[in-house]
Amino acid sequence: MIAVESINKQFAGRRVLDHLSFTVPDGQITALLGANGAGKTTCLRIITGLLRADAGRVRLGGVDVARDPMAARRQLGVVGDREGLYERLTVAEYLTMFARVQGLCGKELDRALQSVREELELDELWQRRTRGFSQGERMKVSLARALVHRPRHLILDEPTRGLDVLAARLLRRTLLRLRQQGTTILFSSHVMSEVSELSDRVLVMAGGRIVGGGSPAELLAHTGCDNLEDAFVTLAYGAAVGKRTEEEPA
Amino acid sequence: MAMDRIISLQMSALLRKEMLETWRDRRALWMAICFSLLIPVMLAGTMVIVVKKQTEESTRLVLLGGDVAPLLEQRLRSDSLEVEALAEGEPRALLAGGYDLVLQLEEGFVDRYESFRAPKMYLYVDSSSTSAGRAERHLQERLGKLQQLVVSQRLTARGVAPQLLAPWQLQVRDVSTPSSRGALLLAMVPGLLILTLFVASLATSVDTSAGERERLSLEALLMQPVPGWQLVAAKMLAVASMGWLGSLLAIAALVALMPVMPLAELGIQQATTASGVITMGLLLLPLALLVAVVQILLALRSSSFKDAQTQLSILQIAPVMLLMVLDAARVDLADSYWQLVPLVAQQQWLKSLLVGDSVSLPLLLAGSMVCLLLVALSVAFGARALRRESLLGAT
Repeated sequence: MIAVESINKQFAGRRVLDHLSFTVPDGQITALLGANGAGKTTCLRIITGLLRADAGRVRLGGVDVARDPMAARRQLGVVGDREGLYERLTVAEYLTMFARVQGLCGKELDRALQSVREELELDELWQRRTRGFSQGERMKVSLARALVHRPRHLILDEPTRGLDVLAARLLRRTLLRLRQQGTTILFSSHVMSEVSELSDRVLVMAGGRIVGGGSPAELLAHTGCDNLEDAFVTLAYGAAVGKRTEEEPA
Repeated sequence: MAMDRIISLQMSALLRKEMLETWRDRRALWMAICFSLLIPVMLAGTMVIVVKKQTEESTRLVLLGGDVAPLLEQRLRSDSLEVEALAEGEPRALLAGGYDLVLQLEEGFVDRYESFRAPKMYLYVDSSSTSAGRAERHLQERLGKLQQLVVSQRLTARGVAPQLLAPWQLQVRDVSTPSSRGALLLAMVPGLLILTLFVASLATSVDTSAGERERLSLEALLMQPVPGWQLVAAKMLAVASMGWLGSLLAIAALVALMPVMPLAELGIQQATTASGVITMGLLLLPLALLVAVVQILLALRSSSFKDAQTQLSILQIAPVMLLMVLDAARVDLADSYWQLVPLVAQQQWLKSLLVGDSVSLPLLLAGSMVCLLLVALSVAFGARALRRESLLGAT
């Protein structure tokens, strides 16, 4: 389980996260929805330990991320937003390096590599250096890197951005299979169809806090909308819009 | 025990990644190789040219109207002064035509000379030519001697002791050329070897730090369960391997070119021994590590890849400038305290080893330890720098 407990974060005096709290239950896919600048990436970066929260704490499977970052990172796989590969390394070298850094060796290492190679259909790319890979190929390699040590928690920041249909399908299939295997998945996205297809729970973020949460069906019921996009707009922008309407004399 | 194994496993994985990335970067590799070979080749070339100039340094003089004064022509001529007597000619054209000097005797020179009426001689010089000054001095010297001879003969013929006109005798003995010029060249070698170290590791250090950040691949590395010092240490070792190999290549090329260099003509005894060469290589290793980690730290601090390149370019000039300033300030660098200061120490040791002197082993070890201590401190500092949040924002 990922537990975010009342975290605050400021950049240059501007508050980005404001007493943000939520939990991501085990074995479920949770989507983090929010407009640009809502604080999604900052929140994910705090969970992965790349940034430190000004206040509050994050627990990952019971481990405090700030206190014991090494233990937290061992049970975490991350696919970042726009991340780069090592262009002078082959896919095999790239994944071997990350698997070994995660402490895998010997037969365990071979098995781990073989399994991501099959799951993510990396056969053709395996011995190629990653220079000039397409967006879809890059995503597959990044995802393989995040999964090679079989983490209990997987975090993805806008994973389908720039992917073609086939790559997006492979990603969706992989995430659903991982959920079956009990992996806890948190991903941020802008694509509503994907969110409604994949996620068990949706968290809507605005102004650095959670403004709504629940299963897609619950969100629709709560907002009285008939599609997720409307529900999201109502939750993320509705309060501000409503306030403005109240202030203006009708 | 298990923890130790994981640490060494992680470290070897990181090191392998950094080494592969470093040595597969063709551009950086070629830059390191070319620069490493450039310095010894340039040095050898300069030495050959210096010696050639020394040995071929003869002055070509035209004696205009000299057909009437064969004795003058004969007396002026020496091994290094070629004299050609011409009845007539245009001084400018002759100077442009490859002669260094034109000495014109006035008309009626012989008559005036014989009647003791001090005939005039006109010396034409092209002072914009590099050899003019030397040629003029050369001729003045020869003419001065001849004049003294004539004066003393005239005085003797009149019963006057020539010593009366010479209260003292000044003889100038130039001890600077040619050997010290060669020694000066050789004294630059330690500084140049250290410069090679900086230049050879520059491209790699920028690539592995600012480059990796700009390619957005640093983030994935920072999210791994490895302590920051291991990341910095692996990067440092890879960068240092390039810098160190660059300087080893430069030393090897220098030693290989020594037989071609006219060291004997320059009065330098070739005294570099095999053990001296090995020591030179080894003593540069701690410095290679220090240079690598400092370059990485600076590149990580910079705001972009380009900014990092600019900062490191300045950094590579700094040590050579520093050593030159210390030399110019006539600081006694051979002092034992100085041998504990990185850069200065290595320069002094290389200087000694190049001319075949021995280096104090305890001082060498102590100096290297100081250098390694600074390396450890820099790695610790680098580990802290990796935790800085602004590091990732600066893309």
